[in-house]
Amino acid sequence: MIPEGSLLVARDLHKAYGPTPALDGAEFSVHPGEVVAVMGPSGSGKSTLLHCLAGIVTPDSGTITYDGRELSSMPDAERSALRRTEFGFVFQFGQLVPELTCVENVALPLRLTGVKRKEAERTALHWMERLEVADLGHKRPGEVSGGQGQRVAVARSLVTSPRVVFADEPTGALDSLNGERVMQLLTEAARSTNAAVVLVTHEARVAAYSDREVVVRDGKSRDMMMEHTV
Amino acid sequence: MSRLSDLALGTKFALSGGREGWTRTLLTAVGVGLGVALLLATTAIPGALSKRDARDNARNDFGAGAVSVSSADPLLIGRTDTKFQGKDIRGRLLQPEGPKAPVPPGLSGIPGDREMVVSPELKSLLDSPGGALLRERLPYKVIGTIKDTGLLGPHEMAYYAGSDALAPRLTTEGDGSGVTQVTGFVDKGAQEKIDPVLALLIVIIFVVLLMPVAVFIAAAVRFGGDRRDRRLAALRLVGADRRTTRWIAAGEALAGSALGLVLGAVFFMIARQFVGDISVNGLNVFPADIDPDPLLALAVAVVVPTAAVGVTLLALRGVTIEPLGVVRNSVSRKRRVWWRVLPPLAGLALLVPMAGRGRDNGTFNQVQVVSGTVLLLIGVTALLPWLVEAVVRRLGGGGVGWQLAVRRLQLTSGTAARLVNGIAVAVAGAIALQMMFSAIEGDYVKRSGADTDRAQMSVPMGEIAPERAARQIRALKDTKGVTGTTTLGYANLGEKPKDPDHSTDMTVGGCAELREVAELPSCKDGDVFLARGGEYSGNPIPAGARLYVDPSYSDRRGVALPWTVPANAQEVQARPDPSGYRRNGLLVTPGAVRSVAKAPMRYTTYVRLDPRDRQAADRVLNTATASDPLTAAYSLNAYETSNRFAGVRKGLYIGATAVLLLIGASLLVSTLEQLRDRKKLLSALVAFGTRRTTLSWSVLWQTAVPVALGLALATGVGLALGAVLLRMVGRQIVVDWLPVGAMVGIGAGVVLLVTALSLPSLWKLMRPDGLRTE
Repeated sequence: MIPEGSLLVARDLHKAYGPTPALDGAEFSVHPGEVVAVMGPSGSGKSTLLHCLAGIVTPDSGTITYDGRELSSMPDAERSALRRTEFGFVFQFGQLVPELTCVENVALPLRLTGVKRKEAERTALHWMERLEVADLGHKRPGEVSGGQGQRVAVARSLVTSPRVVFADEPTGALDSLNGERVMQLLTEAARSTNAAVVLVTHEARVAAYSDREVVVRDGKSRDMMMEHTV
Repeated sequence: MSRLSDLALGTKFALSGGREGWTRTLLTAVGVGLGVALLLATTAIPGALSKRDARDNARNDFGAGAVSVSSADPLLIGRTDTKFQGKDIRGRLLQPEGPKAPVPPGLSGIPGDREMVVSPELKSLLDSPGGALLRERLPYKVIGTIKDTGLLGPHEMAYYAGSDALAPRLTTEGDGSGVTQVTGFVDKGAQEKIDPVLALLIVIIFVVLLMPVAVFIAAAVRFGGDRRDRRLAALRLVGADRRTTRWIAAGEALAGSALGLVLGAVFFMIARQFVGDISVNGLNVFPADIDPDPLLALAVAVVVPTAAVGVTLLALRGVTIEPLGVVRNSVSRKRRVWWRVLPPLAGLALLVPMAGRGRDNGTFNQVQVVSGTVLLLIGVTALLPWLVEAVVRRLGGGGVGWQLAVRRLQLTSGTAARLVNGIAVAVAGAIALQMMFSAIEGDYVKRSGADTDRAQMSVPMGEIAPERAARQIRALKDTKGVTGTTTLGYANLGEKPKDPDHSTDMTVGGCAELREVAELPSCKDGDVFLARGGEYSGNPIPAGARLYVDPSYSDRRGVALPWTVPANAQEVQARPDPSGYRRNGLLVTPGAVRSVAKAPMRYTTYVRLDPRDRQAADRVLNTATASDPLTAAYSLNAYETSNRFAGVRKGLYIGATAVLLLIGASLLVSTLEQLRDRKKLLSALVAFGTRRTTLSWSVLWQTAVPVALGLALATGVGLALGAVLLRMVGRQIVVDWLPVGAMVGIGAGVVLLVTALSLPSLWKLMRPDGLRTE
């Protein structure tokens, strides 16, 4: 059963890499402004679920509906456009472009949608201020600390005002103090813009920032809140 | 730890560092190996050409150089060199005059009458369906093949055929028979002294070809450097200091380059086996000829690993390897230009004082030439990083692809410049050489004067009776593909019947034929003209003079027919005949020489061919050879090129092609390596919707910007080097922009090719799989 008013819904997802199944009938849903943590041990299929939900990889079978549109049947160009305009991403190691300055990194998603450089960088600075890294604007990623870099990455994920932010182990490379600060800023910023957050993590401490938890094991998902409700 | 043990540890890491370590070592080894193979090949070229020349010399059978061996019986030789489908075929007819007659190298004996020994290449042509036309020309029975000792290269087409007709021909026709008599081969004095300008060119070609190879090797020992630096950071974590990590890195490079030496030797040995199959503009040598000088090979074996260690230590000066796997570029200092201009200035200082020496037939100090040229070209490698940094620092604006490329270049302009250095040096050197070639081309490539619109072939017929000439002319006219002929007869005239003091030429032909050699105001059969303005003026013949056609000389008996120049003979202006020769003497229509019409005469037939019939020239040669096996029939060409100049040019083309391919391969390896290192980042960029085209453009700009700057610098340095070299040989400095543009275009083409070849890899790396960590 899928709750009504969901922004992103996945049903009966199957995905295998060669002979190894990564998803085996996984289900998922997220509402606007909701933070959902996808948890599970290494190799359970949680990152694959995130990649399918974000339209980065297409599932072998099953359906993904985003805002009433069938994501899994969209051509690659359309899914790419969706990722540029409606989704934001945070990865474990930031994945900032090392040669661009921090402000250019944050402005990059806007520039990819055709926004002029100055305007994009103005918006980027605004988000960097919110993430408390405005003073790093002209530094390169190699010149800032891991926690600072990850906050820059969070600013980059929010700069296009996405409706869904996908965060794959966003604190995996940070110490607990930095990790908590990043999570605090990410969830606050997302809630303030009513963006949904799909948060992949294996840390309960990080999952605590979510509204709901989905556990993935052997490619199957279990919605913990729904189980409690039932 | 001592430096030696650091080096040893690095070597151990390189060889036992797991898959990644092996990949990196193998990459360096393959790069160095390719460079070493090219170095060995280049150092072997002079030896190979000299062995080729020695074989050429050993079979020399004409001219003053052919040795005289008193104990040997004479061997009669008729030269029957020919062409088939534009390719040269060396041919000789042989007739021994005794059992001790010398045997040409590569033959076990002299073939009997109408038998033939052929080179393997000619044999396969004759055996193939495509050789049918040639079999008509060489109707001899093949009884064996010429061994390697008698051939210039495995692709040379050559034959020796036995003929019993040479001796009678020599008896009846004497010196004009085309038959020579030798008692030995080997030309003792044939070693021509190479002229200083050509020597200079050869020296410069070697420098220009070897410099980019050296630059390439320097780049190859740094393949995979970024990954290695990250690995070395782990060593810092367990207590290694910066100096130790640098020497360990040098040890890794040493292992790669040492393995590269072995691979280089293997590549060289493999490539050598295929040398025989390669023929560039007809130049072809045996695999056994490619034998590097042991001293030069030893120098390569010592210099390459030493350079690998030096380059690595130098490269790591600007990198601070910190513990915790973090590699930060040390505070980037602005590159200084002052010391970078010193090498080119020193180069100019060495070269300029030699200006004009070539004109005075002086020789150039080779050490000075090599040092000056090397320093000027080193100037390219020194100035390019500064230029790239200075220019990209000022770049901005543009789309995302441009921004990604420019920012990348700003961060790692040194890497970009290093990749382009090889192409820049090669192009600078090639531009300088092209300038020299263009300037001195006139000395070595001459207009032959032949007018290929009027005739495409010339068939000289020796001294033969008019009836035989008529038959041969008829045969030529009837040959398929021949659209017209013009035949002129020639005889010698003297003022006395025997041993005349002065002689002149008489050209006999109809009015149409004579118009091919002079401007005739009017002409009818029976007219006689006195041609003026020919190439050899001789003594002017007055009208009314009594002369003797074909006078006798002490060594030759002529018919000495008396003939009087008609009083009404008109003076006319000579014009070049179709072969470009402008003749003097008497031009006579047949009606004016009826009394001598039956005397033997030399004839030349100029043949016009159907341009659409590609086999017409070969059919004409068949017809001419059937009439006279010793025919000297040939195709007319508007230009004549000195063989030695052509050889030097061929050498440049071979070398430049190999060097550019090598550098292209190096660029490709580095570009792919950079892309592979950025696999995760590329996948992340795709995740948030970056288009393929945006990243493709960024790769193109990232390569194109430094290449454009490199080519601009290379053009400047190349023009400067070319100008200095031209001053050295006393020539006016003229820039022929076409070859300059061509060289720059080739350099740019290599970049486009590399970008195109790296795109599939880029697209593959842009798949989302890169985001997977498990």
